[in-house]
Amino acid sequence: MFTDEALDSVSVQSQWRISQQSAQESRSCQTRAVHRAEAEVQAGSSSTCCTQTETQPQEELHLQDGLELPGLRDFLQRVEDPVVRELVRNARSHAFDEFQVNWEDHRQRVSCLHFLQHSSAQERGLHVTSVSWNCTGSVIACAYGRIDDGDWSTEMSCVCTWNLDRRSLNPKQADLVIHVPTAVTALCCHPEQPALIAGGLYSGEVLVWDTSRTQDPVLVQTGMSADSHREPVYTVAWVPLQKKGEFGVLSAGSAGRVLLWTVDLEEARFVLSAAYALVPQQLPHSSGSSSSFKARGSSTVGVTSLALSPWDPDTFLVGSEGGLLLRCSFSSQTPAAVPPEGQSVTLRAPAVFLFKPRSGPVHSIHCSPFHRNLFVSAGTDGLAHLHSLLQAPPLLSLRVSHSYVFQLQWSPSRPLVFAAATGQGEVQIFDLGRRSLRPAATIEGGTDQPATCLAFNHRNPHLLAVGRTDGSVGIWQLSHDLTEQGPRESSQLEQIANQVAE
Amino acid sequence: MAEVEETLKRIQSQKGVQGIIIVNSEGIPVKTTLDNASTVQYAGLIHQLVMKARSTVRDIDPQNDLTFLRIRSKKNEIMIAPDKDYFLIVIQNPSD
Repeated sequence: MFTDEALDSVSVQSQWRISQQSAQESRSCQTRAVHRAEAEVQAGSSSTCCTQTETQPQEELHLQDGLELPGLRDFLQRVEDPVVRELVRNARSHAFDEFQVNWEDHRQRVSCLHFLQHSSAQERGLHVTSVSWNCTGSVIACAYGRIDDGDWSTEMSCVCTWNLDRRSLNPKQADLVIHVPTAVTALCCHPEQPALIAGGLYSGEVLVWDTSRTQDPVLVQTGMSADSHREPVYTVAWVPLQKKGEFGVLSAGSAGRVLLWTVDLEEARFVLSAAYALVPQQLPHSSGSSSSFKARGSSTVGVTSLALSPWDPDTFLVGSEGGLLLRCSFSSQTPAAVPPEGQSVTLRAPAVFLFKPRSGPVHSIHCSPFHRNLFVSAGTDGLAHLHSLLQAPPLLSLRVSHSYVFQLQWSPSRPLVFAAATGQGEVQIFDLGRRSLRPAATIEGGTDQPATCLAFNHRNPHLLAVGRTDGSVGIWQLSHDLTEQGPRESSQLEQIANQVAE
Repeated sequence: MAEVEETLKRIQSQKGVQGIIIVNSEGIPVKTTLDNASTVQYAGLIHQLVMKARSTVRDIDPQNDLTFLRIRSKKNEIMIAPDKDYFLIVIQNPSD
């Protein structure tokens, strides 16, 4: 009857669900490969150019050459005869022969204006080794040290400046005192910037002080590097460089090195731009004179004095410890026969011409500011020699004193006058226009202390500064006839210079 | 223009003449035998001086006029011949 029946389940597919399933198809597409190519372009050469205006020193002159100048011919016809008549009459006239005009009071005598001393330097018995006027002519800078020291010393010394135009000038107290660790042997003020002073020390360092800075006046220094001098520096000088307005410092020391430094203000250091070494084997032989001078055993030619020529920027003169007097050239390319000591610049041999050697160190050389060929030199033999650059033996030798002559300088206003500081304490002023060879004037110090240095003031040519070994600096005012140029002096100087032996 | 050059050469050949400058009525140099810097300096300074000298002479006597100006200095003498349109400046060193 009743049986279990198993029925299969029946499933009904959901129509709705199937319709909801989206139809799916897959397709793909791909872009074709991109064509790529590489190429490089580079500019073949590049050039940079900078321009800079320069200060115009003078106006331009435009001569109207092509233009018709109306009436010029007629004007000249009218005017020529009277003018020629006047010219001829003038050339023959004696009306003004001895006529002199007094525009100012003539100072008849040489007088001492100031007597400057620095008390702490005097207590220690320091000598004045160098004096220099600054470019405005109102400040005198004095360097202290010792001239009789043969030994290495660590004595502190100083550089003092006095401003003579100030009303509150105190001769016993310097306006500015710069303390220096060792003795200062050379000093030179910048020719255009009144605040800069270059100095050379006994230890071989070269420094530039900037007196306008109150904190630390040292602007740049060489320090003790492979480039710097190892021996005392006897001369520093500011040299105009290629670029107008820039100056470099030339220093010469007793190790026979002459180095030219440029000042790098950003890094506040000196950069050695040229170096010259004087070696006995490379000295030129003087023509004609006897070859009795042979290179002595020393391996260096110690430089004791240096002079720049204001007429020829390539020439400089060097005087040595052994009495040699050399003309050197900045542009010489011969390498020096010296083993390289790790310097950054190769050393060159600058000597071009040898003058007649002296018998003793040449302490001072100075080129004449009025004649391009003349210079004076003096040394320990007490004679002042007037040389021409064109010949080896001197033109004239003058007996200045019986002891050493420490410094010699031409006067900036009279072509025939020069002054010499002697070891006997006197400053002798010579006038080559006079017949006799005795000094035109003598400045005595009162004591026997040797006068070690002197400097003429270029702005006020009647001032002369003299430094002595007792630590004092005297400022002297010269008399009228030593400072006023006569009408024929240049031609007299020309005559003296032309006495070059044939 | 050759005549002008001839005349200048004749004047230049006189004894002691160091230089000649011809300046027009405005003070601008038109001919010179010196270098540019000196010429500009002389022209500028002397033009003013001649004008001042001429006005001095005419102030003293209005019927009078400047004919020649000579400046004697320690080293040389400057002679100036003035005219309506031009000045002639000659620098001479008489003791040469």
